[in-house]
Order: sequence, then C-alpha cells, then structure tokens
Amino acid sequence: MIPDPPPVPYSARSEWADVVPIPQYEKANPLAPILYSEEYKDATDYFRAVVKAGEKSERVLQLTEHVIRLNPAHYSAWQYRYETVVDIQWPLESEIALMDELADRYLKTYQVWHHRRLILVLSKKAKEELAFIAKILQKDEKNYHTWAHRQWVLAYYNEDALWAGELDFVDTMMNKDVRNNSAWHHRFFVVFQSGVREGEEDRQRVVRRELIYTKQNISLAPNNASAWNYLRGVLDFNKLPLSTVTTFVKPYTVPLPEHLVDLVDVENPPPGKGAELPCAAAIEFLADVYEEEAQKESIDKAVALWKSLAEEHDTIRKKYWEYRIQQALLLL
Amino acid sequence: MSSSTTMRPSPIDSFPTPTSSAQAETEKILLEHLPVGDNTAAPTLQKNAHMQYLIRNIVQGFPARYTSQDASQPWLMFWTLQAFSVLQVGLDPGNKQKAVETIMAWQHPEGGFGGGPHQAAHLLPTYAAVCALAIAGKPGEGGGWDQIDRKKMYKFFMSLKQPDGSFLVAHHSEVDVRGIYCLLVTATLLDIITSELVEGTASFIASLQTYEGGFSSASQPYYTPSSSAGGPSILLETPRPPLGEAHGGYTFCALASWVMLLPFLPSSSSASQPKINKNSLLRWLVQMQGVPAELGGFKGRTNKLVDGCYSWWVGGAFALLESIGINPAAVVPGAGAPTAEKQDGDDWDDIDDSLMNRKALQEYILFAGQHPAGGLRDKPPKHADAYHTLSCLAGLSSAQHKVFPSPARRKELLDSWQATANSTNEDGLRKRVFTDALCYTEEEGTETIVGGAPNRVNATHPLFNLTITHTEGMMAHFYKQTVPPRVFKRATAGKP
Repeated sequence: MIPDPPPVPYSARSEWADVVPIPQYEKANPLAPILYSEEYKDATDYFRAVVKAGEKSERVLQLTEHVIRLNPAHYSAWQYRYETVVDIQWPLESEIALMDELADRYLKTYQVWHHRRLILVLSKKAKEELAFIAKILQKDEKNYHTWAHRQWVLAYYNEDALWAGELDFVDTMMNKDVRNNSAWHHRFFVVFQSGVREGEEDRQRVVRRELIYTKQNISLAPNNASAWNYLRGVLDFNKLPLSTVTTFVKPYTVPLPEHLVDLVDVENPPPGKGAELPCAAAIEFLADVYEEEAQKESIDKAVALWKSLAEEHDTIRKKYWEYRIQQALLLL
Repeated sequence: MSSSTTMRPSPIDSFPTPTSSAQAETEKILLEHLPVGDNTAAPTLQKNAHMQYLIRNIVQGFPARYTSQDASQPWLMFWTLQAFSVLQVGLDPGNKQKAVETIMAWQHPEGGFGGGPHQAAHLLPTYAAVCALAIAGKPGEGGGWDQIDRKKMYKFFMSLKQPDGSFLVAHHSEVDVRGIYCLLVTATLLDIITSELVEGTASFIASLQTYEGGFSSASQPYYTPSSSAGGPSILLETPRPPLGEAHGGYTFCALASWVMLLPFLPSSSSASQPKINKNSLLRWLVQMQGVPAELGGFKGRTNKLVDGCYSWWVGGAFALLESIGINPAAVVPGAGAPTAEKQDGDDWDDIDDSLMNRKALQEYILFAGQHPAGGLRDKPPKHADAYHTLSCLAGLSSAQHKVFPSPARRKELLDSWQATANSTNEDGLRKRVFTDALCYTEEEGTETIVGGAPNRVNATHPLFNLTITHTEGMMAHFYKQTVPPRVFKRATAGKP
C-alpha cells in the first residue's frame, strides 16, 4: 500500500494566509523535548494561533480534526473543538458520525469517549448508542472507557427500553469469555447498583437467580476470581451471610473425587471433570465462612485453611494469610 | 522459588477462554526471564543503563512516537526527574534551571498547568508540573516555586468542582479520580487546600469503591428532581454507582485521596460520615499480586495481566494502609513493632511485616521489568518507556523500604509548628495537613533489598511519589515552616 502523501502544510495554503502560526516554545529552549514530525508541528502551530485569536469556524473544525488524528490525546484540541461545535451550531449528527469513526480508531483514549458524551448530552439521543458500544466491545472486550461509557449511557438516560437488553448483553460477552471481569462488573451494575429494573421488583427472586448464575459459572471454570468476587459481592450487597453458600463451596476446597457422580443440582452445581482442585478462592471463601461464625472451633478451622493457603495453595500471599490468622485470633 | 509446585501455571480448568490463553502466553514468556539451571545469582538493577536511557531522553529528546504524549509534557519531565531521584541522582544546576524554565512555560495564564505551552490547564499536568518543580525548582526569582500563581490555581480548581464533590479534570472534560488525586497533592504541597475546596469530595471517593474492594474512575450521581423550576435538586446517597470496575491506578488515587482528606473528615462517627470498606480494599490489593508463575508482579484488574506500572499503583498503595488503620505490626496487643529490635543476621521474613510479598515484587521488576537496552517496561517483550521506567523504579522502592506515618516524627513537627500571625479557623487544619503529610518516615532496620546494597534505590513518599527530602523542602517553603532535621539513628543492635 502506498501511504498517503503528507498534506499541504497550512503555511502553504492560501485559505490560511491570514493566520500567523505560533511556535510552541517562544523563549525556553526546552529540556526533554519531543521530536515531532513537520506535519504535527505545522498543524499545532496553527492550532495555537486560532485558539489565541478565539476563532470559531468550520475551518477550525477541520484543523482540530487534523490535530486529533495525529494525536487523539490532545485534550486542548478536543476542548476547543467542542466549544466550536456549540458556537457555530454544527450539525450534531455529522459530529457523531465522525465520532463513530474516531472511537473505533482510537478507542483507548479518554477524550474520544468524553467528547462523544458531550455531543450525546447536546443531542439527547441515545437510541443507537448501546449497539455502537457493543460493536466496539467486540474488538476490545475489556476496554475500560467503553464499559464506563455504556454504564453512563444507561444511568444518565435511565430509560426502561435501554436497560431491558442488558442482561442478555452480559450473557453474550460472558459466553465469549467467562473470565471477563468487565462483564461481571457490568452485571453487578445492572442488577444491583443503579436502582431496580422493570420486572426485577421481587428482590429475593433476583438474588436467588444471581446466586445460581454465579455458582453455575464457577462450576464451569472454578478458578475464576471474577466469579468468586461476584459471589461475595451479591451476598454482601444483600446483607446475606457467606454461609448461605457453604454447601456449594465445600466440594471446591478439596481435590476432585475420582468418580464424579452425574447429578443435576441447580442450587449446588458440582465441579466439572476438568476442574483443577482444590481451588484457592474456595478455600479462602470457606475460611471466611468459619471466621464469620466467630466460635473457637470455627476459628480453628479457618486458621487451618489459611495455613494451607500460606504454605501450599497460595504461597505468594503468605503474609496476608498470616495476618488474617492473627486478626481472627483477636476475635476470640 | 523455582520448585515445580510453586511455579505451576495458573489453572485453566480445561476451559480455555481468551483471558486464560493470554495469561498462559504471558506466564510462558515471564518464566523464560528467570535464570536457568543452577544459576542462582542475585539479579542486578542495571542502574547505569537506566541512567543512560534517562539522560538520552532528557538531553536528545523523546523520539517522534512520543507525539502521543504531546499533551503530557509535564509527565515526561516528572517521570524522568523523579526516576533520577529514585536512582539517587541529582540534576546539575544548568539542567535544573533549564527544567524550571521549561516547566514554567506550561503555566496557564488563568491558573494551573497545561500539557505543554499554550495548552489548556488540566489537573493531571498540574500535578506533574508542580512535582517536577519540587525536584528541580527553588524559592526566589527564576526558581519556579514563587512564580506558581497559587491564587489563580485555586480559582481554577474551584471552577472544576461538581455538585457531587468531584472535579472535572479540565473545562468541558471528564470526571476522573486521577484528577482528584492530582488536585489534592498539588493543593497539599502548595498550602491551598481548604474545607471549601474539598467539601463532599470524601463522599465521592467512597462512592467509587466497587463490590470487589478496589476503586473505579468515577461514579454517576442521581439527584432528586427539583421541586420548583430552577430550584435546587439534592444529591441522593443511593444509587451512586461506580462507572467501571475496580482498577489499580484508580484505587491508588482513591486511597491516597482518602488519606489526604482525613484531616477534613468530621471526627464523629455520625451516619453521614463517608466510609470505605477497608477489609475488602486490603483483600483486593493483595489479590492483585501475581502468582509465582507471574513472578509476583502486580496486575491492575481481576483476570488481567501483570504490568510493571502496577508495581507502584498497587505495590505502592500498601504503604498507605497504616494511615487508615491497617497495621500488621500492631496486631498483637502490647507486642509493639517487632522490627525495632531485630539483629542484622535475622531472617528477612521476621522483619518484614508488609502485607504484600516484597521479595517477589522486586524479582518481577529485576527479572522482567528491565529492558536490556536500558529503561523499564510493562513486561517482556515490550519496549521501555518513560512512564514504566518511573513506575517500576517507584514500585521497587516501595518494595525495598517500609515508609510509615511515624508518631515520633509527627510530634517533632507539631512541636516546631509556627502559627501564622493572623491565625484563622483553617490554621488548625493547615497544621494537621502539614504534619500528616510530613510524618512519613522510613522505619529503621526494615530495608529488604533483593540483590543486596548495589540494588538499593531511594525511598519515596507514599502519597506524592517524591523523595521525602523534596517533599519537605517544598512544603516547608509554602507553609512557612522550619522542618526539624531528621535524626538518623542506626538500627539498634539488639543488646540494651
């Protein structure tokens, strides 16, 4: 592929002849300079000049787009672009169309997502937004900004129609990768943290559903920290004791039995054939169950489990497990 | 640590997904960076190569690919200068002066600093510029410190304030806890932190904690509909959901912000007092340390890969735990700090009461974090860059040294405090901010250096990521205080 030729510099364009470019450093001979390309230097020299003059115009939109394409983290260019869009009442649909392309291209920068949000707030239209975000998340399943943006769209517009498809969306992402912690966090956000969704008013039923969902996913891949954290989160948020799931947890704290019994127990799905047990997260969980009971006998059991973590199953966190033992002994 | 049982790969449970495949690939590469066979030679910190790397960046300049950081020029400067400081190297007067002139070209006429000359003011470069000035600047004409416009900076900060106690990082920009951390550090160093500035901010920080225990970047406020047109609407306590999952960088910023806000929290245990869950935070932090197959480096989120930069964001956060009441040394009542009376030959395990694995973190940085051509990195086979160079070095520092809020040092600072002539209500707060920030001290006899003395780097201040000397210098100037000299006692050698 032949690369695009560099564009004609602004200094050679007649339509920019009225602007006097401003170099970056007027006096200081800087320490630790960046060795820019000529194209970047030229574009930002003119950007500084239009900001200084306070010009808001269509050509400023072209110039800021150029700077942004060369450096999408140039927050001042974004900021000035936003002010210009508002000032000259630029059609918001065309700005969103450009943002669709730029978000796709520079999805790891803060600014593409924030500018998009500013434009959405102005246009008040979120109808297509979730579908667009879903498309981006197919490319980068754990992109922090994209997930945070999706959560903002849901909470800011707070429309039943937008919330309605979220659990299905989480399932789509989870089916691709049950270890995707962003998807687990999103589920928690949707189910528990932003009010009660239509059809979810029966909270007991919702909690039971979430516990079963999590347990089934643990049974699929037991050594999945995301699922264990979610399990703790559901219990804690709903003020349920950890012992609510003791029966489920216990088989994960010991080696896999040689002869697995094929039984379907929805409440307590057993580990599958491929499970690598014992699972450190399960041992930790059971120790916490025992600590919660706060009886001499149960603390002894917790201490034994923490010791097994410190010495065998999770040696890197030895100091932490010893700390937990000390803390628990103080309870007695 | 190379026995086959402890180096086992992370379990996949016969259920591979993209996460477990990336994990397995990373573990394979990391293990290739351990010395092979009987070679048990201690790893070396290649100080000279890293110095050459830093000097090249600062003198020759950063290559064109750093154009993506054109709006982060103060960060490039701070990362480089602070990396020198951690490596125990000072800049010569000529380059210091040049650094100050460069930094001052970034100050915005309306207050705060931008990412470069003529760029809009922004909280992140403001932190980086002020901290770089703490290293290279000084009082007086042309020294930088007295050319910071603190009045306008305060006005700039207030103009970013939101009704939920948060701050935008810049005008028309996002809310992000990194910005709040940067604002609080700057305001603390420059003596412009006030109750007015931080009202509601602690509640905002508390709202960022997720069910996992770590913190996210922002939260979404919900308000009551205003009863009359244009009337006030009230921020609801719930729901106030975090936007985004628990993350190492945001968790450091949230925890450090929380610690800097402690002087402003009401001392009563009233219901309206914002709270964080300390136990779940601690659990999350320790869970971020990778297993031996990951060489004990830190990751930034659950089920993500280890990355050298979290050596500081997560590893460095452990030094702040004592400030929120988590202190393993004090766990046995009456036992006191067990470290003070240890003898030189004692096993390291006994003197180490840190909750992270300090040895393993150092090994990750030394074996995997160093690029052979100089500079430090995320993980092999990546290139080194300025950001990872400082993050890895600062993380190494936090794993070598135990820095804690010393009650004895606090008392010295309180005793020498000079009240201002026109004492105000805020003066008591100023005193508390000053002593809280400067009482951090390295605990004697607790250095644990993998590879021995040649690998030693400087201790850093756990809140600011500056050396303690630079922090004291700048704060003494702006608070108009004389800081009593530190008495460096040798570790007592056991016998009374």
